[in-house]
Amino acid sequence: MDVTRRELLKGAAALGVAGTLSQGLRGPAQAQTTQKKELVTAQGGDIARFDPHFSTSSNDIRVSFNLFDNLTSRHPDGKLYPGLATEWKLEGQTAWRFKLRQGVKFHNGDPFTSADAKFSIERTYDPNAKTMVSTALATIDRIEAPDPYTLLIHTKKPDPLLPARLAFYGGQIVPKKYLESVGNDGFNAKPVGTGPVSFNSWVKDDKGVFDAYAGYWGGKPDFDRWVVRAIPETAPRIAALLKGEVDIITQLPPDQEDRVIANPATRVEGALYAGLYCLGVNSKRPPLDNPLVKQALSLAIDRDLIVKELWKGRGIVPNGPIAKGDNHFDAKLPALAYNPKEARERLKKSGYKGEEIFIETTVAYVSQDKAMSEAIAAMWKDVGVNVKVEVIEYSVRAQKTREKSFKGVWWSDPTSTLGDPDGMMWRLLGPGGPMDYWRDAKWDELGNAARFSVDEKFRAEAYRDMTKIFLEYLPWLPVIQPYEDYGLQKYVEWTPNPNQQFEIRRFNLKFRRA
Amino acid sequence: MSGLLPFLAQRLFRALIALWLVSTVVFVVMRLSGDPVPLLLPPDAPTSEMERVRRELGLDRPLPVQYAVFLSNTLRLDFGRSLHFREPAFTVVRGYIAATLELGLTAFFLAAVVAVPIGLLSAMKRNSVLDHAAMGVALIGQAAPTFFLGILFILLLSLKADLFPTSGRGGWQHLVLPALTLGAFTMASIARLTRSAVLEVLRADYIRTARAKGLGEAIVVGKHTLKNASIPILTITALQFGTLLGGAVVTETVFSWPGIGRLAVQSIYNRDYPVVQCTVFLAAVMFIAINFAVDLLYGALDPRARAN
Repeated sequence: MDVTRRELLKGAAALGVAGTLSQGLRGPAQAQTTQKKELVTAQGGDIARFDPHFSTSSNDIRVSFNLFDNLTSRHPDGKLYPGLATEWKLEGQTAWRFKLRQGVKFHNGDPFTSADAKFSIERTYDPNAKTMVSTALATIDRIEAPDPYTLLIHTKKPDPLLPARLAFYGGQIVPKKYLESVGNDGFNAKPVGTGPVSFNSWVKDDKGVFDAYAGYWGGKPDFDRWVVRAIPETAPRIAALLKGEVDIITQLPPDQEDRVIANPATRVEGALYAGLYCLGVNSKRPPLDNPLVKQALSLAIDRDLIVKELWKGRGIVPNGPIAKGDNHFDAKLPALAYNPKEARERLKKSGYKGEEIFIETTVAYVSQDKAMSEAIAAMWKDVGVNVKVEVIEYSVRAQKTREKSFKGVWWSDPTSTLGDPDGMMWRLLGPGGPMDYWRDAKWDELGNAARFSVDEKFRAEAYRDMTKIFLEYLPWLPVIQPYEDYGLQKYVEWTPNPNQQFEIRRFNLKFRRA
Repeated sequence: MSGLLPFLAQRLFRALIALWLVSTVVFVVMRLSGDPVPLLLPPDAPTSEMERVRRELGLDRPLPVQYAVFLSNTLRLDFGRSLHFREPAFTVVRGYIAATLELGLTAFFLAAVVAVPIGLLSAMKRNSVLDHAAMGVALIGQAAPTFFLGILFILLLSLKADLFPTSGRGGWQHLVLPALTLGAFTMASIARLTRSAVLEVLRADYIRTARAKGLGEAIVVGKHTLKNASIPILTITALQFGTLLGGAVVTETVFSWPGIGRLAVQSIYNRDYPVVQCTVFLAAVMFIAINFAVDLLYGALDPRARAN
């Protein structure tokens, strides 16, 4: 039911109603500067949990990465910066020494020390804590806290990406003393961190309110209060922005951007998604076990057309399994080709006999999934593929992911959690990973070696070879690397983060004052 | 008075049966609709973890056992812990009820206050311009889907005319657009029904008699017409309250209103059995309570209802 409504809503908004209004629209917020002391943001869903170790959902991490700090911090420019750790270095092959920031206090006044850091990291993989991020830092063997401002982390094998892992989910530092005294439920109800905002109140499905933390080590944010509203439908979310009720909105679809741009007080800001939108492939099921068939399917997709028509140019065509912006992305590699003639040839060579190939699409699980499915189905039909589009619901998708029971291809939006192929293709396509439908001995060997090597030159070569093998066997059909767009008031100076963190610290968010 | 007690007892008994049926249907349907555990855990969670969570939530027990536990807990208003929010389902739903009641009752009140006089006026001035205009608007109100009206109101009355906020819950200004949206269908139905009920009564012999004996129009309408027309109006109005609860699902989503309609939809997506069960149960209680109240009003308005 929600599905049809969402589509119709988009239609209604895009149709005449919007058109008529855009000319006559004179938003009350024409100002390009402001005296506001309150930042209001609207996202597509409500916060579910504040405890950072119990959720990885984007609606939650937008908040939790600002209530809490990590030891390291990935800024919107994609680079790693100091967080609660001021410096770190590798000692030998498997020991990382972190020097911690002194004089930092939690929102409740407790001082931050290495005991908190040790407790937080150990909590993520402690089987008794039952967290939702139990695998995020599983490369760690043990942690020592020789003094209040030093942390020594020993990994099971060499782990070149440990500082990157600590910057993402699972790595948020929670207060040991407070959490132990109030318990998990108490902590989630009244979370305390070291981040730039402190918890004030939360009305479910309405809004969360957070106060700027005056004592923040990175400087008090450029506002006194942050209100996070949940506005699930796209059209009302945009209306709230145009009317000046909110300062920033998330999840702005490309076909709605004209309205935001046309309004004199608002603008669009986007970040190239740290990941890809792919069709996952069940390579175990004929005819998709035949690499020639998969190559034909890939060659038959006119990705440029999809980017231009469905995404209004807000995306780029991938050139392999590594997202642009990640370590070891090869800019010299050409974008995935569109060649329907060659596609027909390879289909013929593969011995394909018109077996049904299913696209199991969700609706709005990833942006534009259904529209892209229909476009791709038409392109595949053109080269002689017997394709069938089936719509599945989110929970069915979750079940099929779990059971690895997809019938053909399906939409997936692999996120690069570490800014490195290890946190994307190897995490998802590796042996036992959630998208393990295809194995290749050489590919597995390279992936494993690259994970545990601290030699970046060796890793670069390994990922280059893995990309070659990938492009032959295509365990994913990469389709687009889209921009994730936000609508914002012109008086807000802010840069989005490619990995869905929502950075509101002083270095990244400022109100333009008169 | 002697007929009142058995009448009440019988209605109460029916209400309880209805509640039992509703909760059983929800229990069965939710279990048919899929496993919540894959939605709760990351996709790479091992099978042992899945089994642990399933055991913890009691989902590994046979269905009849789950059902028995569910029934006995429901009697104590214990719907279990929300799988998504990880707190008692009743506590979660309780936090949303006030918002839905505020919206639903405002819409309901708005609908009744506006629709009854319009329907009455339409009937009295039958086939006039006023009648045609009012019934035309009512037709649109009945035909237009809630989400369409909602978006239209946001665009016209909020963005263009700058009269009300676009969404969210706050002061009375926040209430106007969602209440109008939610009440539109009800308002239209009540207006149309009032018109036809009044027209029917106006044709009755006792109205001709009243007029013949020289009673003033105010008394004819106020005392004889409205009172007799009120029974069908009351019936449809009570039934409309159910429509309001259903319509709340869409209206609350469009206007980001933190009510139980939106909670129910989200909880269905999350396969959050306890919250869905609790929401539907409480919605059913509200619906049945309203119907019960209407039954009592019938008794007061029409002695024949008591006798039957």
